[in-house]
Amino acid sequence: MKWFWCLFFAFWPTLTVALCLASPGLGWWFPGEAASPLGQRIDDLFYLILIICTIAFIGTQAGLAYVLFRGAYDTEPEAVTKKAWHSHGSHELEVIWSVIPAIVLLFIAFYQMDVWAEYRVKSAFPRDKMETALKRVNQKRTTKDSLALAEVTARQFEWLIRYPGFNDDGTLKPLMKDPQPTDLYAVNDLHLPASAPVMINLRTMDVQHSFFLPELRIKQDAVPGLTIPIWLEANKQQTYQLLCAELCGWGHYKMKARFVAESDENFIEYLRQLEREQNEDRVDDEPEPSDE
Amino acid sequence: MSPYAQDYLDKVLLTYFGEPTEMVAWDKLPLNMHYAQGTVQDGSGRQLSLELSEPHTAIPEGTEVLWMGGNLAGQPSSWIKTWNEEKHLATLEMPLASNPDEGTPVILGPGEILADGRMLYAEHCQHCHGVTGDGMGPTAPYLNPKPRDYRRGIFKFTTTQSSKKASRHDLKNVIENGVPGTYMPSFKLLTEEESTAITEYVMWLAMRGEVEYQLIRLLGDGYSLEAIADRTEDGSETATEIQNEFLESVNDPDSFPAEVDSIVSRLANDWESSQEEASEVRPLTPRVPYSKESIAKGRALYLKDSLKCAQCHGEAGFGDGSQTLAVSKDEAGQDNVGLGLYDTWGNHVKPRNLHTGIYRGGRRPIDLYSRLYAGIKGTPMPAFSTTLLRRSNPEDPNSEMTDEDIWHLVNYIYSVPFEDVQAGSESQAVDPAPASDDPTENEVAAK
Repeated sequence: MKWFWCLFFAFWPTLTVALCLASPGLGWWFPGEAASPLGQRIDDLFYLILIICTIAFIGTQAGLAYVLFRGAYDTEPEAVTKKAWHSHGSHELEVIWSVIPAIVLLFIAFYQMDVWAEYRVKSAFPRDKMETALKRVNQKRTTKDSLALAEVTARQFEWLIRYPGFNDDGTLKPLMKDPQPTDLYAVNDLHLPASAPVMINLRTMDVQHSFFLPELRIKQDAVPGLTIPIWLEANKQQTYQLLCAELCGWGHYKMKARFVAESDENFIEYLRQLEREQNEDRVDDEPEPSDE
Repeated sequence: MSPYAQDYLDKVLLTYFGEPTEMVAWDKLPLNMHYAQGTVQDGSGRQLSLELSEPHTAIPEGTEVLWMGGNLAGQPSSWIKTWNEEKHLATLEMPLASNPDEGTPVILGPGEILADGRMLYAEHCQHCHGVTGDGMGPTAPYLNPKPRDYRRGIFKFTTTQSSKKASRHDLKNVIENGVPGTYMPSFKLLTEEESTAITEYVMWLAMRGEVEYQLIRLLGDGYSLEAIADRTEDGSETATEIQNEFLESVNDPDSFPAEVDSIVSRLANDWESSQEEASEVRPLTPRVPYSKESIAKGRALYLKDSLKCAQCHGEAGFGDGSQTLAVSKDEAGQDNVGLGLYDTWGNHVKPRNLHTGIYRGGRRPIDLYSRLYAGIKGTPMPAFSTTLLRRSNPEDPNSEMTDEDIWHLVNYIYSVPFEDVQAGSESQAVDPAPASDDPTENEVAAK
């Protein structure tokens, strides 16, 4: 029976490692490669931590297996019987297995700081690149105006999106903190320019939600009372998933939307389309309207 | 309802509508139940060339081909293996027993749209709107406003005339964009086929519920337990005589069956005509430009006694008009239990607070125009098209309200969330200004 338990405890970590190795091929891993430069850096961090954890896991499990098998072997009749050895511990060992993980953790903490700062600390945002992107879509703005191109407001159970409208000269207004008469609205359909860092302001109308773009590795909680800026950059012009990653109520599973990263021209055309739809008065498309 | 009248009612519903799990495709209902209908152009072996009525939905693999006439009428259905949309050419799973005649009518995917709609409805809608569309799903008790009860065939936010029902386009619009300010979320990611299927199923539920409601009114007139008690009270009739009279009416094709037929025909006509272009609300004049002058005119109209806007929505538009504290009557003419306004479904309703900038039926000018012109169906919000003359000739002095007046009101409503002191006055800031001089106040960094 003792050999069964030795094999039992050695089997599960072996299976775990085997499954982890097989999972990328089985599609159990990330939803494809990171679709943004920041996402790629987050993935690199993830893989570094995964490698460290894997080494620690295999090391500790191999140690466990050695102790189990060695202990079982020592109690076999043909083995040289050894007396049990009792110890009150080793200070040296305690220091070693406390200091080494602490160094590893400190290394991870410092190593990831740049990525974290760029993602979440506003002063480290790629402001220049964002301003260039705003110029590309011909947005007239002053240094006082927000860099955000849209405001995304989560509510049970959908994503409301507010874009700035157009000036009389056809240029895009800056996004204001409060709603404006010229604002454009959409729901569950976020469009932004691709291949450029762009910023959105995240809010929630009711409970806590989480803005999650899995393909871009972007995840940020929306907290009641706060307007949280998020920047993102999609590598390719394509449609991505936008999900809520916070259990926000019975309809949480319905809170799906699409994020369309597109060319600057298509983005402006999309806003123009919203403007046309929003100003629809059903008169122009019917030369001779019927009366009741 | 007496047990025998209830049995008859159940039988009628079961015969013509079936149950959600076993629906009856009743051709009398103006629903798009099938993937497509058409006629055979040519067919032999496993190939079938069809001429289909337009528009039709996508035809997936495994679609049933039901023979509706010709030499294959009554024969078992065939099943499509592949479908060529360009050539309208079907390759069947099995060879045909005999070549169909040219012009043989066929139905592709009989009842499939409703069946698809039922599954999607169960997945997305049922927990609020209930299995029968009665608005009493398991989540409904926790929601305010309550989910819509379809069974009266009334939908609030439409762009059809006040006397008409909702158009398919209106129902699809609600599914796609949700109802802002309520628990109805947007289902924008559903495919065109999916939202079509849900729309048809919701219409099916509405028609079924309305038939049931009308039949209860018809049968309840003489055969409810109360009516029977009244009729037998003075001894002139016995319960057995009433039951025999009922059974006689049921078996007389000119009596109840004819009444049922008439109810369903009327209802089918109502729904069908509501889908026509003539039923849409269409302004005679384009939207008046959004300007201070227009807003001021809209504000003056809003405060006009004859229009009574302020009586519900309040002078400042906060939804706190005098009617919110008045006693109102229900449909039967009885006083409602509480003060304020009630809708057709007996729910207490609050007039919209115009300062929120949330417009439940959509924020397009045509949406607000429709709310004013045709009202909000099932609620105390009236249709101005029926209470006031619509002046096609702007010089007509008999009209109190013109199309342009409605547009002025629309502009005023749009301006309310942005007014500083009083809409239309000089102090109103229409042009957007930066929210704050300090840009950091516009954003809060999560540090």
